[in-house]
Amino acid sequence: MKHIMHTLRIVAGLALAAAAPVALATETVELKLENSNKVVFKVRFDNGSVADPEGKEGLTYATATLMAQGGAGGVAYADIQDALYPWAAAYAVNVDKQVTTFTFQVPADKAQEFYPIVRNVLLAPNFDEQDFRRVMQQQQNYVDQVVRASSDEDYSKFALEHQLFRGGNMAHLVQGTSQSVQGITLDEVKAHYRRAFTRNNVALGAAGNYGQEMLEQLQAALATLPDTAWVAPEPSRANPPNGIEVEIIAKEGAFGSAIFTGAQLGITRADDEFAALLIANSWMGEHRKSYSRLYQKIRETRSMNYGDYSYIEWYDQGGSYQLPPSGVPRASNYWSIWIRPVQIAAQLQAQYPELADITTGHAHFALRLAIREFDLLIENGLSEADFEATRTFLRSYIKLYAQSPSQQLGWLMDSRVYGRKDYLAELDALLARATLEEVNAALRKHWQTDNMYVSIVTDVSEAPDLAGSLISNAPSPMSYSNLVKSGLPEDVLAEDEAVATYPLNVRKVTIVDSSDTFPGR
Amino acid sequence: MMNRLNLAAAALALLLTGAAYGAATDSPEPTRILPYPIHQHVLDNGLNVVTVPFDSPGLAAFYIVTRVGARNEVEEGVTGFAHFFEHMMFRGTDRYSKAEYSDALKSTGAAANANTSQDRTEYHMTGNAEMLDLMFELEADRFMNLNYSEHDFKTEAGAVKGEYTKNFASPYSRISEKLLETAFTTHTYGHTTMGYFEDIVNMPNQFEYSRKFFDRYYRPEYNTILVVGDVTPQRVNALAEKYFGAWERGDYVSEVPPEPPQQETRFTHLQDGSIPPYFSMNYKGPAFSDQEMDMPALDVLSSIVFSNTSDLYKKLVLEEQKVRFIGGGAGDSRDPNLFSIQVSMVDKADMGYVRAEIEKAIAKVQTEGVDASELQRTKSHLKYRFAMQMDTPDAIAGSLSHYIQLTGDPESINRLYALYDAVSQEDILEVANAYLQADRLTIATITEDAKGPFE
Repeated sequence: MKHIMHTLRIVAGLALAAAAPVALATETVELKLENSNKVVFKVRFDNGSVADPEGKEGLTYATATLMAQGGAGGVAYADIQDALYPWAAAYAVNVDKQVTTFTFQVPADKAQEFYPIVRNVLLAPNFDEQDFRRVMQQQQNYVDQVVRASSDEDYSKFALEHQLFRGGNMAHLVQGTSQSVQGITLDEVKAHYRRAFTRNNVALGAAGNYGQEMLEQLQAALATLPDTAWVAPEPSRANPPNGIEVEIIAKEGAFGSAIFTGAQLGITRADDEFAALLIANSWMGEHRKSYSRLYQKIRETRSMNYGDYSYIEWYDQGGSYQLPPSGVPRASNYWSIWIRPVQIAAQLQAQYPELADITTGHAHFALRLAIREFDLLIENGLSEADFEATRTFLRSYIKLYAQSPSQQLGWLMDSRVYGRKDYLAELDALLARATLEEVNAALRKHWQTDNMYVSIVTDVSEAPDLAGSLISNAPSPMSYSNLVKSGLPEDVLAEDEAVATYPLNVRKVTIVDSSDTFPGR
Repeated sequence: MMNRLNLAAAALALLLTGAAYGAATDSPEPTRILPYPIHQHVLDNGLNVVTVPFDSPGLAAFYIVTRVGARNEVEEGVTGFAHFFEHMMFRGTDRYSKAEYSDALKSTGAAANANTSQDRTEYHMTGNAEMLDLMFELEADRFMNLNYSEHDFKTEAGAVKGEYTKNFASPYSRISEKLLETAFTTHTYGHTTMGYFEDIVNMPNQFEYSRKFFDRYYRPEYNTILVVGDVTPQRVNALAEKYFGAWERGDYVSEVPPEPPQQETRFTHLQDGSIPPYFSMNYKGPAFSDQEMDMPALDVLSSIVFSNTSDLYKKLVLEEQKVRFIGGGAGDSRDPNLFSIQVSMVDKADMGYVRAEIEKAIAKVQTEGVDASELQRTKSHLKYRFAMQMDTPDAIAGSLSHYIQLTGDPESINRLYALYDAVSQEDILEVANAYLQADRLTIATITEDAKGPFE
């Protein structure tokens, strides 16, 4: 009898082993939606650009891109695309500093046929020489030209990040540098795949109308990824600036001055205190919202630019997205201010005869105005009414972050990176509990304006005078056209005067030629 | 083929009389790509109210589609005005000052914004469905009673200039401006939605015109209300009656000058070495129609000939790697617009070769047509792609808004996909020969050289 029981246990154990996959290092995030007409899988590798070896910046990006835009399972990339075309199924990869995320989407009734492609992209990439050449050519082109030419706003954002993390593994563009990308070989990509895309740093999520059997199949497949021991690289911390350190990137033919400024922040979504700081930040500079303070002061009252916002974590592709996307969790954090391009002297002179004598445009004034607003908030704190209105807004607004199945899944998976189960739900509870005192304590603890980095992308004609004005703390009176100036209320003019001479702790100003940016770490 | 301008005029006339859809229609049609009923209700003043209930607990997307855009900027010196006016819509009323409006908007907790294109201005709020009452109140107030000071008007022009400034960094924006003014000599599609910089700089002087603009277009007959999400048509219609019922109909009809036929290939060039060499081939195409086969056939053609699975893409991008990117297609618009093929090159020396390859691919469709199985695969692709995208109230509202701007009727979406189903090999042969001809072509180029490579 004992023998029979033992045998039964073994058989049961075998049956279980056949049905249940070998466990992955992380729990699968499931979001079953029976009424959905599609299936979404997200597969995240905890590597990101911080996992690039020194001198091989861009290697994680190259590897992931070649997986997503190359052949797999012995099938050519073109043939895979042909197979997907009639179902409009698709997959793509996003590489950030600490994670690489593949997202697969397919109509539910085509999921079975799609599955082998998902599996092969992740487990059996062809790493074909011809695909490699194409992918690397695009990547090279991005770091050589596109990053400098397509958006001065993004350019200044990446330049700020480079200043903040210079010398560390968070500094470089995820695409790498002009020099490092040139040196990446196909053999290095293959080796990096085996080293950094393993069963030990992978996380799986599924949303929509997927079958349990397929999910288990995918879990089992991912468990056959290389069993390389994986120690996630520690992301470097932001450097401590000595006073306000400014880098002005002088670019031929720039039409305005694009500004980003920021400094290290010691908390992330993992910390409960983050919710309190989120309230202060939303009041000050909620992304793309007309009712936040910076926007009202710089754009609405003075119409200096298209918008002005502040952040307490990385916001991916802010020029495109109105709501924050998922898939960019980061442990090494900083807060920042985004001042969209303001006018340069050459433009103002050309537009208005009354401004013919000015020597610098609006960048210095705008920077002073933004920093002064932070100083005023730190000094005065948020009012009870603003606190309540902002908290109410946020508790409704954060529900909009995760609307589609793919977005919901993305936010749930990000939650786990921060040690949370459902960040948005937990955030709502934290917001509900937050007090005005906590908000004011958090903003005073985490925000200061004495030591910051500033990146400004501007025209070559603007750079020298702007640099001189900043380093000497020279008055920077706002230069309005007569049309606007004549109607400005007294309180605005009085505030302008205060802003024009507002002291900034600028200790260092460097002018960098556009071609010399992003040299390496 | 029916004259498209007449068709557009007929559609507008129907809309102005409020007779386009009857008083209230719940339309069950046989082939419907959108699996949700579209409820339409026209108020006595001609305002069409569209509701699409969708399973999104607590969430609703509230859109107002104003059928005025850069296309309507027919007068001298006012390019970019529709877009500028969109900015002014956030500048307050007698009831809600701009500060009070901001506070009230914030209290909705919604994601709210607006944008303008050639044919329309779109105002949208997505948020808590329980806040719909306040959303209606705020929108009705500003659409009916907008009132801003002359100073606010002058000031806002700076923000538009800031928007131009941020966009101007991209050489692609600059070539787009040059392309439109080369391709269109008469029609208002000849300028971008942003407008010419000199007109933007001069905007502060157009206060009087701005009042006229509001009076012309911010009227029931130019607008459609669209709500998608956790709502019922009864609730939406009642809110519309309550807040927009008193809105007075206007009588202005915009006369947009038709573009004369083009006689020969035109060229425009931008000297800029900061990005990879680039060119686009832009053929004068048709206007959007949910009745004629031209646009659906061109959409199918562009997917077969220029998408990532096309022979051209495989050859130029994947195999030869002379091209970084190639894509093509027709933009939907109310009047005839451009069918554009865009190419980002690796080496400018290959531009002539790549252009010849594109022309060869076009010539092949013009003589041999397309393969029947490829046609079927493309129809499947279009249907699945659409179905997969419709997974949030915002996505559905955004899509319906697109068709409302074109025809005034959200059912156009279902009619268009029914047409896709019916596209034949003969249709593709016909549109390839009708539209993809050298005398309809404008080529725009960007290289580091002073002179364009094809001139």
